[in-house]
Amino acid sequence: MKNEKQSFKAYKMKQKVIPYLFLTPNLLIFSIFIILPALIGLYYSFTDVNLFHMNEFSLIGFQNYVRLFKDAEFLAALWNTVKLVVVSVPIIFVSAMAIAMLIVQPLRAKGFYRATYYWPVMISAIVVGIIWNWILGGSFGLFNTFITKLGFAESDTLINPNFAWWSIVLAIVWSRTGYYMIIFMAALLSIPESLYEASDMDGANKVQKFRFITYPSLRAARLMVFILVTMEVFKTYPIVVKLTAGGPSNATTYTVQYIYETAFSTTYDVGYASAMSMILLLFVTILTAANFFLNKGGTD
Amino acid sequence: MKKASIYHYIFAILLVVFFLGPVIYIIMSAFKSQSELFSSTPTFFPKAISFDNFADSFSRGSFLTYIGNSFIVAISSTALAVVINTMSGYALAKFRFKGDKIIMMVILSTIMLPLEVIMVPIFSVLKTLGMYNSLLALIIPAAATPTGIFLMRQYLVTIPDDIIQSARIDGASEWKIFTRIIVPNAKPAIATLAIFSFMWRWNDYIWPLIAISSPRKYTLQLAIANMSGQYGSNYGTILATSAISMVPMLVVFLIFQKQFVQGTVNSGMKG
Repeated sequence: MKNEKQSFKAYKMKQKVIPYLFLTPNLLIFSIFIILPALIGLYYSFTDVNLFHMNEFSLIGFQNYVRLFKDAEFLAALWNTVKLVVVSVPIIFVSAMAIAMLIVQPLRAKGFYRATYYWPVMISAIVVGIIWNWILGGSFGLFNTFITKLGFAESDTLINPNFAWWSIVLAIVWSRTGYYMIIFMAALLSIPESLYEASDMDGANKVQKFRFITYPSLRAARLMVFILVTMEVFKTYPIVVKLTAGGPSNATTYTVQYIYETAFSTTYDVGYASAMSMILLLFVTILTAANFFLNKGGTD
Repeated sequence: MKKASIYHYIFAILLVVFFLGPVIYIIMSAFKSQSELFSSTPTFFPKAISFDNFADSFSRGSFLTYIGNSFIVAISSTALAVVINTMSGYALAKFRFKGDKIIMMVILSTIMLPLEVIMVPIFSVLKTLGMYNSLLALIIPAAATPTGIFLMRQYLVTIPDDIIQSARIDGASEWKIFTRIIVPNAKPAIATLAIFSFMWRWNDYIWPLIAISSPRKYTLQLAIANMSGQYGSNYGTILATSAISMVPMLVVFLIFQKQFVQGTVNSGMKG
């Protein structure tokens, strides 16, 4: 009897420890490779640490942050990023929703269309850059061949800052719309068919059906897609590498590239780059907070 | 049942051209000879199929090393991710314990710290641990993903407690319950996590960019990114290498299309 009691106690103890054991590997990795670096980054942002003198540096207070707001190149990259977000997010948002609405129609070979539109999602950002660079770039690229055949003048394409900037938008839209299409598709499929049937009886037209049934039903999905796309576009960099390399003359240089180059290839100013990261973190945090806040409102 | 109109089909086919056309064009271009690649009147399909670019890709000594590195990283990181994320998902789904809310918050907060934000200090951490310039730096840190944990937790919550309790009464050890009951029941979620993890690692650029310096350790993506000559003479090789790099994902996609759809819906839902 006594033995049984003891073993029960031991069992209870064990049950308490077990969840922690199951969590240990993940939490260890999170602590070492996410939380610790975040804290180090915060600390670095107040120092003058350089990539080649990682062990001797001094605290310099808010100097990096003050410098940031006077750094025309950084501000240009940040502004460029904000512009990219403001332009690409609505395009992806609207196209993903529209294509999702198309794909839920009773089409033949529906699976083929869905798979085709999703396919670019699985191509690496580097290769996406190569694809569009090859199509758009150069006087003998497919793009120039096509427009000259139509009778237009040859374009200077990727050498033109404006053209280069829009080519990044195109590449992002092309490679990411399929992902968000699927999220909208799932949401559309969960709308009860009876709602549409009832509205048929009331004689509602297509616009009314969209306005009063489809659009309101997509509330949660809309909020989620909106926040996810925004966060994603904020971190744009790999897609740029082979498409424009940030050029011409920084026309497509966004925040992440500027941070990377400051730390690893131009001035090796790790402290300064860390301060930039904190600004980026601030943006991401605001967006994530908005995500939680709005999503709660979306699922009620 | 309503039928789709002709306009639906026109749109659907135009979209096929938009989404698929560029990929096909790259693959076609990879089969063009050097002179055809830089012809002033390019055609969509090659006039004569040439394997020169692919031959050149393979003949560059390190190509197989890059592919090998990519496979090692993608497969081992995925295996690790499946094991540890399922373990964490199980703990969070089926146990009540002190600090569970806090741990949940910590995991949530890591979503706010994408690699792009911490890439500079990550570099010092990898250096200090002696992991810099090793494939381990691409395998271990990336295996712990908040998205993976949520995916598993969400799925494991649906497994009835009774099965677990009765196994405990039968005297099964906790590890045995995990491997014999939880894992077999979580197969669909595990499949989803595995293919997404494979895709993330296979296509990843930022981690290798920060963690790897010597070309012998390059993954395929890093190698392609570092191939020189935007309009240089070896552009054909870049195209051929890019085309080859898409093959594994194409195969995975064709086999696991359903899981991709499911995973997009779930991971999206959890952000």
